[in-house]
Amino acid sequence: MKPIRVLIVDDSAVMRKIVERCLRQAGIDLTEVLEAGNGLEGLAALQAGGVDLILSDINMPAMDGLEFLHGLRQIENARNTPVVMITTEGSESRVVEALSAGARGYIRKPFTPDQVKERVTPLLVGAR
Amino acid sequence: MNPALSDRAARALPDSTWPAIIIQSASEVFRLMLDSDIEAVQTPSTDVPGKVCAMIGLAGSLCAVFRIRCSKQSAHSIATKMLGGQNPSDEGAAYDALGEMANMLAGNFKGKISGLSDSCALSVPTVIIGDDYNVYPLSGGHQIQVNLTYEGSPVSVALEISG
Repeated sequence: MKPIRVLIVDDSAVMRKIVERCLRQAGIDLTEVLEAGNGLEGLAALQAGGVDLILSDINMPAMDGLEFLHGLRQIENARNTPVVMITTEGSESRVVEALSAGARGYIRKPFTPDQVKERVTPLLVGAR
Repeated sequence: MNPALSDRAARALPDSTWPAIIIQSASEVFRLMLDSDIEAVQTPSTDVPGKVCAMIGLAGSLCAVFRIRCSKQSAHSIATKMLGGQNPSDEGAAYDALGEMANMLAGNFKGKISGLSDSCALSVPTVIIGDDYNVYPLSGGHQIQVNLTYEGSPVSVALEISG
């Protein structure tokens, strides 16, 4: 698997570190990890350049994960980037909404590193 | 609009199984995220267990506040374990970690209550530091509190339900 750039969007800095650690434990070679505390910051980070994978929380202040999903489809270098939602939301309707808006999968908190690996690695086949 | 906030959402009514479900939810979150076990304390305690309280609001078919409260030392330990043994960079990181624990606990709890998952939305976490405050239950409200121990220290988890 090629080294990748990843964007992690979560209002919890601790959770962003946990997600990064899970990715590294999954054997994913991360060349750069961009972090954002909400959807607005996530969109701003993507303006500076594309990434190979995005993991985003749903429930965040300022701009939630669903609005973020819609927003990034307007960004040329991000609209085809695989997005995995990481959420405490047990709500099927919210998950369906995220998948309909273009998310490629979701991980429910609490999660294990194996669950992150299982959801993420299939999306990285052919990553630049 | 979040469907959980629709006026059509039926009211969820607590029952005698909810304390056990809260304990189960907490056990799963502590086990998965910290690789730690917690124990339920059978004897009800009125002691305030600590100075850090993380809260999550629930709205929709259940209007409530989910609280987890512990000492600063426990919050620090929780953050350290969440970070894979790495010490949190500052006190704020410990509070952030406890807020996420509350978030996961509330989400896990509502996923276990039939019909609540799709009809109840969670707020982002709020964390209060200090012990010089009181919580006044809303009129007609109902509180479910479970008392736990984590690494020998008290942790309380409470669900304050609006009337």
